[in-house]
Amino acid sequence: MNSFRQFLALLAVSLSGLARRPGPVLTIVVGVACAVGVLVSMLAMGSGARQEEMSNARDDRVVVAELGQRPLFGSISRQDAAAVQDLPDIRRDKDGRPIVVMEAMIPMSGVRRGTAARIFIPLIGVTTNVTAYRPEMRFTAGRMFRPGLHELVVSNMCARVFSGFEVGDRRSIRGAPWTIVGRFDEGHSGQCTVYADVNAIMSAFSRDTYSGLEVMLRSPADFHAFQAAVTADPAVHLFAQRQRKVVADNFKGLNSLLDFASYFVGTIMAIGGTLGAINSLYAVVDSRRRELATLRAIGFRPGAIVAATLCESILLAVPGALIGAAIAWLLFNGFSTSPFGYTFELDVTPALVLTGVIWALVMGFIGGILPAVRAARVPVTTALRAA
Amino acid sequence: MKYLPLLWAGIWRKPGRSILIFLQVAVAFTLFGVLQGLKTGVEHAIAAARADLLIVHSRLSFGVPLPIGQLEQIRSVPGVEEAIPVGLAPATYQNPDQHVGLVALRPDKGWLSAFTYTIAPAYVKAFRATRTGILVRAELAKKYGWKIGDRIPLMTMVPQRDGSTVWTFDVVGTFTDSDIGGGDSNVLINYDYWNEARASGKDTVNHFSVKIADPKAAAAMADAIDARFANSPNETRSESIREMAQESLQSIGDLEFLIRAVVAAVLAALLFATATMLTQSVRERTPEIAVLKTVGFTDRVVFALTLAESSVLCVTAGGVGLAIASLAFPYASKFVHGLSMPLIIVMAGLVSALIVALISAAVPAILAARLEVATALAER
Repeated sequence: MNSFRQFLALLAVSLSGLARRPGPVLTIVVGVACAVGVLVSMLAMGSGARQEEMSNARDDRVVVAELGQRPLFGSISRQDAAAVQDLPDIRRDKDGRPIVVMEAMIPMSGVRRGTAARIFIPLIGVTTNVTAYRPEMRFTAGRMFRPGLHELVVSNMCARVFSGFEVGDRRSIRGAPWTIVGRFDEGHSGQCTVYADVNAIMSAFSRDTYSGLEVMLRSPADFHAFQAAVTADPAVHLFAQRQRKVVADNFKGLNSLLDFASYFVGTIMAIGGTLGAINSLYAVVDSRRRELATLRAIGFRPGAIVAATLCESILLAVPGALIGAAIAWLLFNGFSTSPFGYTFELDVTPALVLTGVIWALVMGFIGGILPAVRAARVPVTTALRAA
Repeated sequence: MKYLPLLWAGIWRKPGRSILIFLQVAVAFTLFGVLQGLKTGVEHAIAAARADLLIVHSRLSFGVPLPIGQLEQIRSVPGVEEAIPVGLAPATYQNPDQHVGLVALRPDKGWLSAFTYTIAPAYVKAFRATRTGILVRAELAKKYGWKIGDRIPLMTMVPQRDGSTVWTFDVVGTFTDSDIGGGDSNVLINYDYWNEARASGKDTVNHFSVKIADPKAAAAMADAIDARFANSPNETRSESIREMAQESLQSIGDLEFLIRAVVAAVLAALLFATATMLTQSVRERTPEIAVLKTVGFTDRVVFALTLAESSVLCVTAGGVGLAIASLAFPYASKFVHGLSMPLIIVMAGLVSALIVALISAAVPAILAARLEVATALAER
């Protein structure tokens, strides 16, 4: 009998004996399920956040910022903004004007529903062509603000998360009342966005510079040409970045924090689960000492015994992983959370489930090594003589 | 006492198994300690933040300046004990990565009561006497090797009247800050010198630091101050330091559900593992337990011994895990000042370890207690 057939025979014997050993089997399955469930749910936060962040990013959108400043925190003069409008490769709206959105960002605060906590919200003054730049904006109530007036439009997320953002509500800004005239939906974005007319904002705050520009290109392929054109103008101290990159940079800190927390907690749980698996498999091997010694005595090779025990451990880990991932999905998929001031829904994706299964296979493998070696090393004579 | 050797022998009967259980319990309680400890530690830090210090800043946001003329109006609000103007500016020392936060304040009589700083009286005197004086945070002085009498140049974005954006200050002392949100790299300078020497933004402040008489009246006081400036071009927003701490650390509270789920999963997995192992252990020891009973141990003593064995193992392991968890706190306190492992979590952890031990040992202990001597020995 060759080693492989020995291995198959041993595995069949082990698996058929599982029902007689519910304790160790459940320990391994539950341990792996808990570790994988926790890892998958924590990673689902990161994947939910990424999906949320990137949902409205498009390759034909470009953010123009002042050299040396973060996007939306610069001060760009009206002349520089006008110069950008004359650059080539910019898409034009239905009236033939280049789609360049001029923005002025002012921080404001909102009162969170339920907890009454005050949270920072950016109030962004924009030109009205923002609707051409962001076609995903769909008004669900009211209308767009009128240029020059003290009017605000807000995303539906604002009304959901904060109080005082219904159409018709007035907010006091710089000692004057501003009326909310419209609410819009913007796809998957979970952030609260507040827009007002850029000129009204700038005169209210006596500013004469924009804090940023956003440009829509004719096609994503024009980016390098446009970027070169921005840099080429020596009078303008601006630079262009893809919107996708700006968004990714903004969220880099949050994403790495979520990933770190997930893998930190996941690793500790996996260590605990693996220790439990080692202990259980040792117990299984010990209770089968005579059986294993008999197998050795009738010619089964140690290699086949090691392989069969390892394989048993790994096979037990897989259902554990699937149960853990299923629990994570049932409990947390679509669960909305707002850590660190961002709101997003947890997203349990197939890729995460796969990560969980791989994690479980590693746990099963590491948990099985030592017991497998012990199983193969059962001293034939003493084990048979005892009892 | 006479049972101790027996207990000890029981634990070391199978050293490999006991060590593995020990490690597993320790790992579980490390995680328990880190998660629950951070959460509760932050809650404690918020509760310890001072409610009698209000920060009066622009209603719009922190970045928007307020006119210093508002100072007298704030001081005239009943219940206000002290109000100090504060200007803020980012600066760097030597290279652009070494950030220093300039806090320009006016050291009027009684000013220290409106801040969370602790400063030696001699340094306070020197600071008030030296226009270009600077007090540096003790950690910062150590980091850059600044000593009293040093003249330190700081790069800012704020030009002086001669156009230079480099400001030079004389180090007159060090201070410590007990505020949980207090910047690690803050330095204190004289507001009046700063205000006179700068080329723009004159007579504006970033906020007023206000000490009120009654911390319980913080919300009412904040409203009273804000009401003074309602409908003016410079509306204010007053918040206590505690309220601000709550806001900035809210994030951890939002994760409460997840933390609870993780801790529940950890304990559930642990319970399963220990229960299985203990049952296995009792089964293997059937003959020994039968012998114990034969020589006169009662069912009750055997029951108690089994429970005690698992309790000793789990509680010590839990203690080790919590000790490891507390090692994470010096690191975490870099982000939230004054964070330490809360005692209540250590107690809760040890009690949980005991509960895990008792529950998982319950079935094996009953098995051991009910063991019939005759049948057990007959199986041999």
